[in-house]
Amino acid sequence: MPIRRLTIPGRLDQIEAACDCVEAGARDAGFDDSTSYACQLAVAEACENIVKHGYGALQPGEIRVAVTASPGELTVLLEDSGPPFNPARRPRQQPWDEDDPPVGGLGLLIIHRVMDRVSYLRRAGVNRLTMRKRVPRASG
Amino acid sequence: MEMQILEYKRAAVVTLAGRIDSSTSADLETALQTLIDKGKRNLVLDMARVEFLSSSGLRVLVNAYKACKGTGELCVAQPSERAASSLAIAGVDTLFTVYPTREAAVASF
Repeated sequence: MPIRRLTIPGRLDQIEAACDCVEAGARDAGFDDSTSYACQLAVAEACENIVKHGYGALQPGEIRVAVTASPGELTVLLEDSGPPFNPARRPRQQPWDEDDPPVGGLGLLIIHRVMDRVSYLRRAGVNRLTMRKRVPRASG
Repeated sequence: MEMQILEYKRAAVVTLAGRIDSSTSADLETALQTLIDKGKRNLVLDMARVEFLSSSGLRVLVNAYKACKGTGELCVAQPSERAASSLAIAGVDTLFTVYPTREAAVASF
């Protein structure tokens, strides 16, 4: 079960590197490009939350990324030392109004629509966000 | 992100390429707001070469759509598979009229 690890500075322009790591893990898991892209998107949203809402105006810290892949399954762990922030809570469904479509909360919505499981733990001053994606393999 | 803007009489075409995310979406926001401030409310976003579209980019698109609505329309032309995927996952795909070519999009105005 290969594990890819990466530490990036908590800056918006560094999130692409986390996506590259997820893309490589998705390849290990045997995901198609569409599923791989969706996972990269979810992880980018989670990293953006850490940078904007976690570190915010504070001295930016690091984001540690660990991507674990096995056939048909990908698990991404993000760790940061910003203030407590729990993205595992499923966002409330916002009423859809075509004349005034809601623009807030899209990032969390994407995370929860893409990933099968999202869990959060705060331990020793560290936020640990785990996101898992499983793709059932065709039985043959 | 790369961006090219062509202004026609009836519409403006914004051709986008690369990554539209939290580190680049402000440039797109500025460009679209500049067009809207100039009175260009018929906007075509050619997204054929968009490789990544995050919620930051989607927010810019939705806000521009809202600014144009009533006096014009922001529509999408030939979105890449990934751009279309982002629109669908976020559930905003029903908001935008999507055209298979930029010519068809411009001709709709």
